Amino acid sequence: MAEKASVISIQAFRYDPDRQNESYLQSYEVAVAGPLSAMALLAKIHEMDSSFACRTSTCFKGQCGSCLIRVNGQDVLGCVTLVRPGESVVLEPHSGYQVIRDVVVDFSQPREG
Amino acid sequence: MIQKRWKTDVLVIGGGGAGLRAALAAAEAGSGVVIVNKGPVSRSGITLTAAGGMQAPFHKDDSIEQYFQDTIRCGYGLGDPQLARILAAGACEAVLDLERYGARFVRNEDGEFALGQFPGQSRPRNLFVKGGGIGIVSALAKACKAHESIRIIDDFFVTGLIKGISAGKSIIAGAMGLDLRSGELTLIRASSVVLATGGCQWLWEVNDCPTDATGEGLAYAYRAGANLIDMEMVLFYPSVIVWPPSVKGAFVHYEFLAESILDGNVYDKNGQPVLPKPLPVRDQAMRMMDKALCEGRGGAHGGLLWYVGDSPKGSGAVQKKLNIAQYNSLKLHGVDPTTAKIEVAPGAHYLMGGIHINEECQTTLEGLFATPECAGNFDGANRLAGNGIAATQVFGARAGRYAHRWATDNLMVKLDPASVEEEETRVARRLTTHSGAGTDDMSAVVNTLRDRLRAMVQRYTGVSRNRSGLKLLSQVAHDIRQELAYQQVPDQKVYNQALVDLLQLESMCDIAMLVAGSARLRTESRGHHFRSDFPLQDDANWLQHTCVKQVGEKPEFGREPIGYFDGLSRFN
Repeated sequence: MAEKASVISIQAFRYDPDRQNESYLQSYEVAVAGPLSAMALLAKIHEMDSSFACRTSTCFKGQCGSCLIRVNGQDVLGCVTLVRPGESVVLEPHSGYQVIRDVVVDFSQPREG
Repeated sequence: MIQKRWKTDVLVIGGGGAGLRAALAAAEAGSGVVIVNKGPVSRSGITLTAAGGMQAPFHKDDSIEQYFQDTIRCGYGLGDPQLARILAAGACEAVLDLERYGARFVRNEDGEFALGQFPGQSRPRNLFVKGGGIGIVSALAKACKAHESIRIIDDFFVTGLIKGISAGKSIIAGAMGLDLRSGELTLIRASSVVLATGGCQWLWEVNDCPTDATGEGLAYAYRAGANLIDMEMVLFYPSVIVWPPSVKGAFVHYEFLAESILDGNVYDKNGQPVLPKPLPVRDQAMRMMDKALCEGRGGAHGGLLWYVGDSPKGSGAVQKKLNIAQYNSLKLHGVDPTTAKIEVAPGAHYLMGGIHINEECQTTLEGLFATPECAGNFDGANRLAGNGIAATQVFGARAGRYAHRWATDNLMVKLDPASVEEEETRVARRLTTHSGAGTDDMSAVVNTLRDRLRAMVQRYTGVSRNRSGLKLLSQVAHDIRQELAYQQVPDQKVYNQALVDLLQLESMCDIAMLVAGSARLRTESRGHHFRSDFPLQDDANWLQHTCVKQVGEKPEFGREPIGYFDGLSRFN
């Protein structure tokens, strides 16, 4: 099952305020050669499906917070959070900020409640 | 089609170190300022990646003159001396300004600035900003937010410059762009515009910049008719990480290999050191690295091995030196830079050429100002370590000051309807309401074309270039732009990232043509521009800039004397 181990299974949060429907989780499978950061994984999903929105900028130091994201229920820095081949992850917007679309958040607007 | 209209005295495009500094200078002089940034300010942009070195001649044995001479010499005589002098003369004040805004520099026990000496610096001249580029941007962003005359708009993607008409003359009168959060096409009218959009290093497959570094500002200035100079002069950094994938694009310091710091080296796959000591300046080092790679001495992923683990300074010194954010971040990816051999290759690091500016940061277009990194060329053919950040601050402040002065002297002009229509069309023709079907195909096409362009740019305008490769790249960039001509994306209102991808790629094609054409014209080797078919420096013919501007729909390449500026110098 070497093939299975080279895939990461993702449930990714989708939401578009303009369509006024509920948010939902969409499944993606990404083929990988080794561990990938959650941030790199998001960029891969956007490559596969350009309608999926995510931030891609990075400071390379794990400090700027452009990549803040929720992985399996934990708010983390996506650039330093590694996902390994064979793993399944749920990727959602960081819980501290309001969602613009999909996993893109507005860092100037704290999320209420 | 235009859904929103704003007005401001000074519009600053780009919210990195240079743009924020420009905004503060313009606002402090009395202008109302709008900063637009394509991501969130302080969470995007190239400045954040800077390690925190900034040059200024504070040392007791140093002087403005020596800093100036070092810059000109290191640039192989190609830097505009009047700009290099402004940089040297303004650097100390720029440091003190940054402190005033809240940035902190490392100081010795006696309270003086700690100064390092990097290759090419004749005196210890390198200051260290606490928190690196993030420390700088955080301080400047905080100061901007506190200023009542500055408004920062995050997630605003500018799509082009807008012209106005004044007494029959065409001048820059604002910009068109997408407010990504609302999806509204927005026209911003401004009395003057400052471009602070950074470089285009992301065009190269190996680079150490964030994905933001796609260089739209350069393309927009070019399309509006501004002169760009020395676009072939791209600074490559010797030690950009190529493996593993999660840290690809991060860099490890070439400078730390110096005898005075950690005294390490880069090694080939057989364990042989590639670089001599004393450590050569960057461009010479990369020729040696490139040669080693071409001879097949590279490792499994096309790189050489950066190593400081056996430093004669001892492991304590190594751990102390590398106890900074960018190295600690590597550890989180399972790579310990204090002990591991790290696979690196030369990658695009900084654009030395760019939009041609005069002493007032004015471009050749009236009403349009620019500040490094998108403005060139004070460096010449190589840049000293620590000059990049210094330039964002010295020239950023000047661009803001003179943009304010222009805005004061020139009231808002009548918009040129043809220019507005052209920029509206640029966006409108890319959108289709034909929803759903074919979306994946469309993104696949754009991604494939982008990857092809980046691979070609890496191969043919990297550390070593030649005529046939450059000719091929020009053709490929032209062809890709043609293939893109009819590409559309869904009319997604909120955060249309696919549209941004497409418009960025269009700009990248333009810039690739400008880089290839300029590199082809310069039939010599100088600094970071190495032509394998013209390997020698040719001072008799080439102690001058290459210059390009758009004539009709095409780039017209030419030469310009060093220190000459083809435009009004209004303020002299």
